[in-house]
Amino acid sequence: MADFNNMESMGGQKARNILAVNALRKAFGSLQVLKDISLHVEQGNVVSVIGPSGSGKSTLLRCISFLEKADGGDILYDGQYAVKDGVYATKAELNRFRTRFGLVFQNFNLFPHYSVMKNITEPPMIRGENREIVTERASALLKKMGLEGKENAYPCQLSGGQQQRVAIARALALNPEILFFDEPTSALDPELTGEVLKVIRQLAEEKMTMVVVTHEMPFARAVSNRVIFMDKGVIVEEGHPEQVLGSPQQERTRQFLRNYQR
Amino acid sequence: MSLMTMIVKMSEGLGKTCAIFFLTLLFSLPLGMIVALLRMSKVKVVSTITRFFITVIRGTPLMLQLLAVTYGPYYLFRANVSRNKLIPVVIAFSINYAAYFAEIYRGGIESISIGQYEAAEVLGYSKFQTFMRIILPQVIKRIMPSVTNEVVTLVKDTSMAFTVSYQEMFTIGKQIANSQTSFMPFVVAGVFYYIFNAIVDYLMGRIEKSLDYYR
Amino acid sequence: MKKTFAAILVIVMIFSLSAVALADDGKVFIMGIDPEYPPFSYLGDDGEYTGFDVEVCQAVCDYLGWKMEIFGVNWDEKLVQLDSLECDCVWSGMTILDSMKEAGYVISEPYYDNTQVLVVKEDSGLASSADLEGKIVAVQLGTSGEALLNGDLADLAATFGNIVTCDSFLKCFTELEGNAVDAVFVDLPVAASYAANHDGLLIIDEQLGAEQYGIAFRSGDAELCAQVEEAIQALVENGTYAEIASKSEYVDIVNNLLFLNANESAA
Repeated sequence: MADFNNMESMGGQKARNILAVNALRKAFGSLQVLKDISLHVEQGNVVSVIGPSGSGKSTLLRCISFLEKADGGDILYDGQYAVKDGVYATKAELNRFRTRFGLVFQNFNLFPHYSVMKNITEPPMIRGENREIVTERASALLKKMGLEGKENAYPCQLSGGQQQRVAIARALALNPEILFFDEPTSALDPELTGEVLKVIRQLAEEKMTMVVVTHEMPFARAVSNRVIFMDKGVIVEEGHPEQVLGSPQQERTRQFLRNYQR
Repeated sequence: MSLMTMIVKMSEGLGKTCAIFFLTLLFSLPLGMIVALLRMSKVKVVSTITRFFITVIRGTPLMLQLLAVTYGPYYLFRANVSRNKLIPVVIAFSINYAAYFAEIYRGGIESISIGQYEAAEVLGYSKFQTFMRIILPQVIKRIMPSVTNEVVTLVKDTSMAFTVSYQEMFTIGKQIANSQTSFMPFVVAGVFYYIFNAIVDYLMGRIEKSLDYYR
Repeated sequence: MKKTFAAILVIVMIFSLSAVALADDGKVFIMGIDPEYPPFSYLGDDGEYTGFDVEVCQAVCDYLGWKMEIFGVNWDEKLVQLDSLECDCVWSGMTILDSMKEAGYVISEPYYDNTQVLVVKEDSGLASSADLEGKIVAVQLGTSGEALLNGDLADLAATFGNIVTCDSFLKCFTELEGNAVDAVFVDLPVAASYAANHDGLLIIDEQLGAEQYGIAFRSGDAELCAQVEEAIQALVENGTYAEIASKSEYVDIVNNLLFLNANESAA
């Protein structure tokens, strides 16, 4: 805990911020979903975002992956502005920023008409990479995901857990600097969540930088360097997982965790 | 007139029936996609106009459209009526079927989950790549049954070219029926259409089956 | 109880019998027409069917005390529709064909002598059927003109470049005026009435395929045919027929009406 605080205070000097968000705002009509959200993710860190549904945590992830357009604030990748004061970079620049992150969806969103292999290899090939190199990388990733022999299967032939692991491999095939997970196990049967969480944990051990929106508290506690608790569009509490999940300072956090454990 | 002569005579018109059929598909399938995309345009004026166009085409009989395309220019501008009736016939059929295909395409495109677009966007696909590689193949699979329906209807609709004096198979059948005071040509026409559609059905079934490898 | 029931039954039967008898008195006669064949049968300016044949038929029905109804047939299916009882006769400038008699239909005495003519554009320079070699000629499907081109006039038809069959005579003329065809082969009165309303047309009358109009009845209806023929004869004799024919709408056909000419020659 002391270590953690130390790192936090030293900020950008020691570790490089892969992602930084300043005063991010987003409204759907009159509903303010994100109210001046600020956060940063250092290289090699895993940040878990928890909170009740409707708290804005998924919207946050969708804003930083450019799926939703923020109304104001900054988004920086590796110190470079993708969004500055609500003004977005050009289309071409945004596309370059997209190569820096990968996003894993709650519903996998694999392409059903592509084989597992093509799902993974086509995106890098579209970006101009060589087929052989990409295929080699994809095979290695599938092996790492425990999906050897599934190269030619179609998504509909796989279980939910397998599909999500393919989706993770697909995101990793683009060599992102940071990986976002939007409730990666929420659409899975309970007995299948383990295999997906295991893969994410493995990535954490390899020092992959990640932001995970999740409801899996034990997982968040075990894997994260930092936990953020969001409610009603604001960050209520953040800190080391032991602190936020073990001895929360805010009443809202305590209430959420109490409800969650019931 | 023997049955054989009848069949031979009517087969001559079958070529023209086929010409209407294939040319209409050739033009209306892509045209329908353009209409569908205009219909889904975010520019309100464009989508409203396209929508009106579709309701007009779907809300009026094909026969009327055939007459309008063939004789409309003459009545409006005293322009010459086309000597080659295949041209106005294919124009009218293509416009008509494009409107129907457009609505089928639209239904198919709108049935694809937003997640597919988002995944493609995050993975770096351009809008065009997303449509051509991710959306369209899935749309085609989903709309195949409805398209088959339209294609089967088209086979039968070709007989309507009679209304503008295009000598396709059914027109010749009617002429024979008339001069022979016989019902037989209609039976022959029925058999022709049935065989034609059986072939269409078989081919479309093959295509559908070839898309069966995923759900 | 049983007796009462029987009595009621008898009464009901008597009533229904008398109802049938009454219906017979007020017989409904359904006239089958081509609604697009002026001046014999067409939709008048008032939206009601009219025409020479319609007026004569109305007079016949009035004479016989029948109620007249009009049924618009699909001309190329007219005999099928007659057989399927959709109408009781086909009476609409119908050319008598041998094939009809061979098929067993009862055909009335002819009442009109018709000729087929070629209509061309005045400025086309065409003046005779010989000029139409290699040209395109339009004809209405199901008309005697079409039958002639396939039959008696097949030799002439063979010299044409192409024959286009349209499903109404109006389309034939539209094709002509729109320069899609070079000539229209059509009944003289139709040609005359169209040319009267449209400038720039020339009628080439070479007495091609002279033919006669009659009324067609179903094969079993010889008696009905006789009744109608007698009624027409009565109308001819009492002057009603001539009165109808003298209307200005029928000026183009009056000379070809057989009954009137017969009267004249008798007189």
